[in-house]
Amino acid sequence: MHGEYKTPGGKLVVVDLEVYTGRLTRVQVSGDFFLEPEEALDWINAALEGLPATSDEAEIAQTVRQATAHAEMIGFSPEAIAVAVKRALSS
Amino acid sequence: MRTNWHDYDWQLLRDGPLSPNLHMALDEVLTYEVGAGRRKPTVRIWEWGAPAVVIGRYQSVKNEVDPENLGRYGFEVVRRISGGGAMFIEPGNTITYSVYAPQELVAGMSFQESYALMDSWVLEALKTLGIKAWYQPINDITSEGGKIAGAAQTRRGGAVLHHVTMAYDIDAAKMVQVLRIGREKLSDKGQTSAQKRVDPLRSQTGLPRAAVIDRMIETFDDLYGLNRDELKPEELEAARNLAETKFSRKEWIYIIP
Repeated sequence: MHGEYKTPGGKLVVVDLEVYTGRLTRVQVSGDFFLEPEEALDWINAALEGLPATSDEAEIAQTVRQATAHAEMIGFSPEAIAVAVKRALSS
Repeated sequence: MRTNWHDYDWQLLRDGPLSPNLHMALDEVLTYEVGAGRRKPTVRIWEWGAPAVVIGRYQSVKNEVDPENLGRYGFEVVRRISGGGAMFIEPGNTITYSVYAPQELVAGMSFQESYALMDSWVLEALKTLGIKAWYQPINDITSEGGKIAGAAQTRRGGAVLHHVTMAYDIDAAKMVQVLRIGREKLSDKGQTSAQKRVDPLRSQTGLPRAAVIDRMIETFDDLYGLNRDELKPEELEAARNLAETKFSRKEWIYIIP
């Protein structure tokens, strides 16, 4: 499943994922955003892994926010990732 | 404490054509060398040895390129260490450069501010060529005629790497066949055609590519001073090694498939 969201005035966030027994799996966030340090992408993917597929945008964004407490996101946000996740889930 | 451009003895590297992988590796090596203080702050002008699509650190290969057209036109995919978007490269069609500076030059600045700072000399150079260009946050240089350049930054080992690709004479029809430029990406640009996104420097200056580069170098030299330098043999050796062990490997290029 594949979802994309272009942050207004910012960057594109892409989410590829699968759902297995009601939970997100094989989550891969990508895009033309900026993120420091580079390991933070793994933190985001790992945080989304296993999340209930019924999670709402606020819950997804909160999960990403916690995972990126020590990262710098430039041109995108936890909310942008949440929109892309929801779009993937409804694709 | 924040420093400024005048605090440094800037060096210029302007070599002949190199392979796309070696360029990726040189950016990593030189960033760490400047951060470690073994190399003075440096501006490097690139020459491409082969056609390439350069994708950002966080981009997925399959979302960015059309594999069939990539092969048909003889392009390779390389992945750089900085974030940002895909660049479409044919030798002689872009002006690509890197600035490697100690992180103190951008200390306390937001990413937005530091992008604009790192290219302020380029805006000045473009002005002397009659192009009224400005920085469009986060990472674009644009003019009334459209987008001219895209920049990317990353901070490693005490240094900031800022690299930029300017469109000199892009074959936009080929570009849209090789790159997948999604509708979602263009959704806030207010443009209907991907072709219109890249406005070549050639049409706006009427100058040969080398003349534009020469003016950029002159402008930097006038503003801050710039000394001609060469890559050290050990830097080139380290970069060749890294190109072989990292940048040419599938494990890196397809780190996000």
